[in-house]
Amino acid sequence: MRPIFLFILTFFVISKSYSQVDPVLVNDTLSVNELNEVLITATRTYRQLSSLPLPAQIITKKEIKETNRTRLNNILNEQTGLITVQNFIGGEGIQMQGLGSEYTLVLVDGVPLVGRSAGTLDISRLAVGNIKQIEIVKGASSSLYGSEALGGVINIITDNPKKNGFNGDINYNYGTFNTRDANLNLDYKKDKFSINTFINRNSSDGYDLINAVDANTIDPYSNYTFNTKVNYDLNNNTKLYASGRYFLQDQDYIPTETEVGKIKVNEWNTHLKVNHKYSEKWSSYFEFYATRYKAEDYLNNVSDNTLFSASDYNELLVRPEVRATYNPNDKTAFIAGIGLDHETLVRTDFATNPEFNSPYAYFQYDGNPNEKVNIILGARFDKHNAYKSQFSPKGAIRYKLNDNLAIKGSVGYGFKAPDFRQLYFDLAGIAGYTILGYNSVSSRIPEMLANGEIEDESDILVPLSLFNDKLKPESSISYNLGVDYKPTSSLKLGLNLFRNDIQDLIDTQLIANKVNGSGVYSYYNVNKAFTQGLEFNTTWRTSNNLRISGGYQLLFAKEKEAIELFKNGQAFASTPGSPSFQLNENDYFGLYNRSKHMANLKIFYNFSKHNLTTNLRANYRSKYGLFDTNSNGYLDTYDDFVGAYTLWNWAINKTFYNNYEIGFGIDNIFDFTDTPEYENDSVFIGNIPGRIIYAKLNFKF
Amino acid sequence: MKTIKLFTLLAIFIGFSPCSVNDDEPTLLEVETELVSNFYAPQLGGQGQPVSGDFTKFDFTTGAVTTSTDEWDIAFRGTDIIINGGTSSGETDEPARTGNVAAYIANGTMASVTMVDASLLDQDTLNAHVLANWYTYSGPPNHLILPTAGKILVIKTRDGKYAKIEILSYYKDAPENPNAYSDEDRYFTFNYEYNPNEGEITFQ
Repeated sequence: MRPIFLFILTFFVISKSYSQVDPVLVNDTLSVNELNEVLITATRTYRQLSSLPLPAQIITKKEIKETNRTRLNNILNEQTGLITVQNFIGGEGIQMQGLGSEYTLVLVDGVPLVGRSAGTLDISRLAVGNIKQIEIVKGASSSLYGSEALGGVINIITDNPKKNGFNGDINYNYGTFNTRDANLNLDYKKDKFSINTFINRNSSDGYDLINAVDANTIDPYSNYTFNTKVNYDLNNNTKLYASGRYFLQDQDYIPTETEVGKIKVNEWNTHLKVNHKYSEKWSSYFEFYATRYKAEDYLNNVSDNTLFSASDYNELLVRPEVRATYNPNDKTAFIAGIGLDHETLVRTDFATNPEFNSPYAYFQYDGNPNEKVNIILGARFDKHNAYKSQFSPKGAIRYKLNDNLAIKGSVGYGFKAPDFRQLYFDLAGIAGYTILGYNSVSSRIPEMLANGEIEDESDILVPLSLFNDKLKPESSISYNLGVDYKPTSSLKLGLNLFRNDIQDLIDTQLIANKVNGSGVYSYYNVNKAFTQGLEFNTTWRTSNNLRISGGYQLLFAKEKEAIELFKNGQAFASTPGSPSFQLNENDYFGLYNRSKHMANLKIFYNFSKHNLTTNLRANYRSKYGLFDTNSNGYLDTYDDFVGAYTLWNWAINKTFYNNYEIGFGIDNIFDFTDTPEYENDSVFIGNIPGRIIYAKLNFKF
Repeated sequence: MKTIKLFTLLAIFIGFSPCSVNDDEPTLLEVETELVSNFYAPQLGGQGQPVSGDFTKFDFTTGAVTTSTDEWDIAFRGTDIIINGGTSSGETDEPARTGNVAAYIANGTMASVTMVDASLLDQDTLNAHVLANWYTYSGPPNHLILPTAGKILVIKTRDGKYAKIEILSYYKDAPENPNAYSDEDRYFTFNYEYNPNEGEITFQ
């Protein structure tokens, strides 16, 4: 309770003191700016945020700069209802509406990033120094984007040169743990031609939360990002766009005293687009996108420098797409597209080198039947060679009661295709176990029987006939119901209720016993789960100088089968070495890594006379569980939890002579960390390193 | 209405009247409640190699370890638990079944499993050991073998008596926070209750 109380108290004390110091000035240009906020992610057409029937949010360049964020995970962790979760190999994946990283699509300029080697897409690899805005659309969006868009979509929009001539900026940020982030932006624009180059280097010495063990929690790393974009307008109606991005990371890999190695990540993206306008009403886009993500790691024995282990991962996605828009009037937009996803993967521990081919088509209507009503209707069909084809419809409606109040609702279908790993894995773990992808089971189990790894038929626990069918994609139906309320031009309130009903969740099960006493595991569709809750956001601009915003998310994320099990008294718990006891329905806590409450409070103040901005941001998260610690397979009230915490961040920036800026800040002011309590304790927070003090220099030219 | 009230009153009175004790019944032996610590059940092989080695056998009559070929009820080797009843699955060094032991795994606690459900009793077969699913492997990063909560092993011994077992730990000295890397494994700690009265299916 205390952190919440502290929050409310701070909110009132600060807002009161400011309103006393500063006479409240209501400036009408503020609301005009807001009306101009436009996003492309929600409908794939430029669309005003404030009139959208879907829950969506824009994070501006201004906020990124004023808070001195350098990586995508830093900035997203400060938004309502978003949190990054670390997977077991250290990647930072985003959680949205209680759905994990596997179920959230991450795009850069409208095209997806790949490289989910363990399901998680590591978003800490994205630099934010060239971003114009980050667009977030919540709720299933597979009707436009296909696989992975169950929980929602995050689209990173990079900036384009605005002024003619040669412009640029250099940014350098240095902080605790020897964290360095250097940016260079170079822009050139001449009328119809523009080019932008962005270079970023980011490095850190890592950190260690467990003093008892010789391994670091995060090992030292350094990475580079290169991004070049070219825009050329052939004429008023035809526009060309080309973009290339290259990312390179080198990280130490020292899991124990006896082994040492490296992890290398290599990623490139190319994106070409031709946009042609036939008339006021008709336009078309021809797009070609290709990306490759490569990760390689090795470990050597320290004693004799021989190879201990090595693995590699090499994924390619190629996507041609054509889409057309038709605007019969300025209130109605139709969009339709067809495309093909071609994906390949070469990976250690894989039974084959798989190839996915998935042609798709989508269609959407966005219109206003009258002044008060906006409707979006859309659907997409994805055909697939390795899993069941998917049809994903979506509908949304917004009703404007008056100028201050509007209600909006949407229902949509989302799915996530089984990944390569779930279909084709053939991994022999160090401890003797084997993990097989769904499609590998029917060929590999007979082989293991033949070569004696499995003794006889009796050790096969699940009939192999269950693996003859195709594995079903995980899917969900998402419901959102919200209210936008603007009592005055300076105050904005938004409430959204959400529910995601998830089916066919893919889990692992033991399918056979091995002669060595270990098991063979594979993937299967079984679980049904839901995430539901509410999200509340408010922004209050008392003047041009002061902005206060707050957000809160209430979340329930549970497995339906588990609820029944607890209700029927079939769930038990025990601590190792002690007898079991029965649990009741109130003891079921829900899914791992989910906090029931998350809240944030941000205060931005601008001393315009002194060209100085400062802000204080607090992020609260209630307790959550990392995994089952009392051997019943579920998270219950008797498990070990990570406790609730609040992180306070402060930043200050001052501009001199228009072009020079210095900044200073402290992340995690109160130096919060959650470290293991005993040797082998895995219930701790690995991605909060403690207090970070940094300084920033920025020079524009 | 009046009649219903009367019946209810009557029912309550009958319910409260003390049960009559039948003095003719023979006195039963008391149910034995024991804790067995660090019951060592080693195996050879494993971690990629074929498993072999003698099973460590347990006899409920004596409540002790035995090496007898016939006088045993259940036996342990690593995570494998077998009973002296049914047929051998033919694993290396697996003893022949000479008795008629039967068993099943009940969902519950030691306190809640008060009676044997004879219809569930089963024996080891060529295909499966009835008591195989007593544990959960935690997987990476801890790689622990943990007794699954709420699994009570119910056993009909070779001489027709009943016992129930709850396994508490697979690691030496049953630590509260076991460590698969530093704690010695294959040391069972378990609670059991044994009713020494033949054919008596309750544990009270």
